Amino acid sequence: MSETEERKVLHPDFFTEEPEVRLIAGKSKSSGNWTFPPYLADPVSFQDDVEHLPLPKNGVLHSFTIVRRSLPDFPVPFGLGLIDFPDQKVRVMAQVEADDLEKDLSLGMEVETIVGVVRKAKDGSDIFSYKFKPAK
Amino acid sequence: MANNLRDVYIIGVGQTPCGKFPSQAAHMLGREASWAAIKDSGIHARDIEIGFCGHVYQGMGVGQRTLKDIGLVGQPVINVEGACGSGTLAFWEAWRTIAYGQHDIALAWGVENLSKIMSGGPLPLEEDDIEVALGMSMPGLYAMRAKRYLDEYGVSAETLAKVVVKSRKHAAQNPIAQFRKETTVEQVLADPLICDPLTRSMCCPVGDASAAAVLVDGETLKRIKRDETRLPIKVLGCIAQSGGYASATGLTCDPSENVTRTSQMAYEQAGLGPKDMDCVEIHDAFAIAELIVTEALGFAKKGEGARLVEEGKSNYDGDIAINASGGLLSRGHPVGATGLLQTVEIVNQLRGEATGYQVPDAKIGLIETMGGAQPAMDGITCVVSILGK
Repeated sequence: MSETEERKVLHPDFFTEEPEVRLIAGKSKSSGNWTFPPYLADPVSFQDDVEHLPLPKNGVLHSFTIVRRSLPDFPVPFGLGLIDFPDQKVRVMAQVEADDLEKDLSLGMEVETIVGVVRKAKDGSDIFSYKFKPAK
Repeated sequence: MANNLRDVYIIGVGQTPCGKFPSQAAHMLGREASWAAIKDSGIHARDIEIGFCGHVYQGMGVGQRTLKDIGLVGQPVINVEGACGSGTLAFWEAWRTIAYGQHDIALAWGVENLSKIMSGGPLPLEEDDIEVALGMSMPGLYAMRAKRYLDEYGVSAETLAKVVVKSRKHAAQNPIAQFRKETTVEQVLADPLICDPLTRSMCCPVGDASAAAVLVDGETLKRIKRDETRLPIKVLGCIAQSGGYASATGLTCDPSENVTRTSQMAYEQAGLGPKDMDCVEIHDAFAIAELIVTEALGFAKKGEGARLVEEGKSNYDGDIAINASGGLLSRGHPVGATGLLQTVEIVNQLRGEATGYQVPDAKIGLIETMGGAQPAMDGITCVVSILGK
């Protein structure tokens, strides 16, 4: 079995890795409104004409914290952030990675979507999902 | 909303102390508070027509288990869950069944025994929530709000510490509070960081308690045999709202939007405004919440909530008494019980019975409860009630 097949992934429907890592959001054909993740019906038009489309790779860090005490299965410390996609008017909460959490993160900075380890499974193995890091 | 609602009064209240009582099941705390509320009202327990029990983690039939132990069986009991707003959501249910004329006498209570399920750390949240599964916790969420707020309005972590200092100072006089020892800005800032910039004492504690209230309509108040030495307190406004979409209205993933919306409806229902309030119980699960909610309720402009704390204006004897009880930070936050603890506190203040921390000449009080978080929404449940004597 290849490494890819063994990888445990959380929320696999909410992002794509091809051709690059992007979150998958919903966009209503009638209203043009975006949501992340996609809803069944659009909250503006109340139509179920929601297309699943990728968000831009890069967003803006609205705020963040360094989590030092957390629920089980989340090794601390880790960065948690609110990431804005201004053109789509979507805000996403996700983990934010950095070489130095204390020094490398700042409000308003550009961050890019990546895939990485977000938590442990009950058997101690890594679980992967979307997260962010400072943009190159 | 119908404008021919009946008047609703609170005629009895009861509560247990807040603390860690792992040997006491939630229904045991619930029966103590409920019995105290019924005795306080002076009505016969059998007069209770319906019960609403707010809780989050206490399992199947906790409301029925509570009332069984005080002889109340048969009447409908509805268990109510609305995250940290469960207690006030139960109160809202009791208020509306009376206001709309379905019942004349109702009991609302909230119970929670957290120390049986956890010793400390963040509240366990719903793993099916996509953000929770990725590591979101309530301290993490409020820490991000705090970081943004401090940056946007040039406020320092010292001001957050001052919220805690005031809270402990108030709680020192409140006999049911969980933390009754005063603290200092230095001590609060020296505490371990939970989620930057929130230190441990800027986060509410794990604890257990119950609180209850007996509600009746205006006609029943006149006819029923009760303890007439006990001052009835009128419900002037009571509004419950679920969270709204944030992404539908732009980038405003901010719980204060929900508080603003709900409180404006409550003010309108009561025909009153922020300036009419004498005492307020705010859902300060984290120190930053007091600042954000103070502003959302209209007691300060955006970014100026900190000044009320800095200048002592939100002390129990200041211009607007905010969390004279010590609030969630110090009185405690046994989640499902919290809304009723806040309600009992305001009733005690309006009755002039908050010995040692009585808000001078308190005539009108407001309760704000904010429950939970949801992706792209401004919270799960917000309830705002306004009470008057």
